[in-house]
Amino acid sequence: MAFEDLLEDPVIQKYLHELVGPKGMPVAAAPPDGEVTDEELAEELDLELNDVRRSLFILYENDLATYRRLRDEDSGWLTYLWTFEYDNIPENLEEEMYRLHDALEQRREYERNHEFYLCEICSIRFEFGEAMDFGFECPECGSPMESMDNDRLVHSMDERLDRLEDELNIDANVDA
Amino acid sequence: MVTVSISEAEAELTVDERAGLELVRESGGIHQSDFWKELDVSSRKGSRIVESLVEKELVDREDTVYDGHNTYYITPTARDLDFTLLMAGDMLSPFIGEEEVDPNSDAFSQWIMNLAYQE
Repeated sequence: MAFEDLLEDPVIQKYLHELVGPKGMPVAAAPPDGEVTDEELAEELDLELNDVRRSLFILYENDLATYRRLRDEDSGWLTYLWTFEYDNIPENLEEEMYRLHDALEQRREYERNHEFYLCEICSIRFEFGEAMDFGFECPECGSPMESMDNDRLVHSMDERLDRLEDELNIDANVDA
Repeated sequence: MVTVSISEAEAELTVDERAGLELVRESGGIHQSDFWKELDVSSRKGSRIVESLVEKELVDREDTVYDGHNTYYITPTARDLDFTLLMAGDMLSPFIGEEEVDPNSDAFSQWIMNLAYQE
């Protein structure tokens, strides 16, 4: 098996699981050294060929596997020889850290600029305008909504943004 | 292709290379002209150390202009990043595997709730 050091990382395991799902995990979690065919993987891992192919194509779409095609001269059949490209995992996760950072910044603005009301029975949150339209009564259960303080949310977003900026060497917005 | 694991590559570093790698990691990124001064080695030796670390894929290097001179900027590789920053409690960033990032999605609300109340 290859890439053991990467696969020891629980976040990377979770990442692969997120991409290929539980059925694809046997394929994603045990990349062989060098090239391999889908049939070989299915046999070795005792999986349905379709499940193996599905995971391989998901990995391919995420730059984590490549293939080359060989045509058998007698039968005319195509064979796909797959190579796992897990060296790209760290760059992919770096990109995800940037995406998460941008989303957190946008969401923090939204949280700061809106007032919220909560139905404590249904745990549903409403923006001020929505809450007013409903007369500050939950449309699901009819109980009165309470004004909700989101300081704790904003504070934890601030903290994570700081850590992401530090890790990625992003200059924080001066006006933020 | 033979895949040499990074920890193996790291184990084979000389004392100077190891100090150089630590410096790059601690600074998060440094110009080559500061690199050798900080390490207290000659500029030639500094550039040999960087050369070797780049070859072993332990650092990244790009051209830059600094103080009016052409130099390199040396940064840690993506492997050194703390990927746990993608997690909130036991939940991974919901944007993974998604093409569009929607900062107001329910999945992201859940992630933020985890961040605020589980960590």
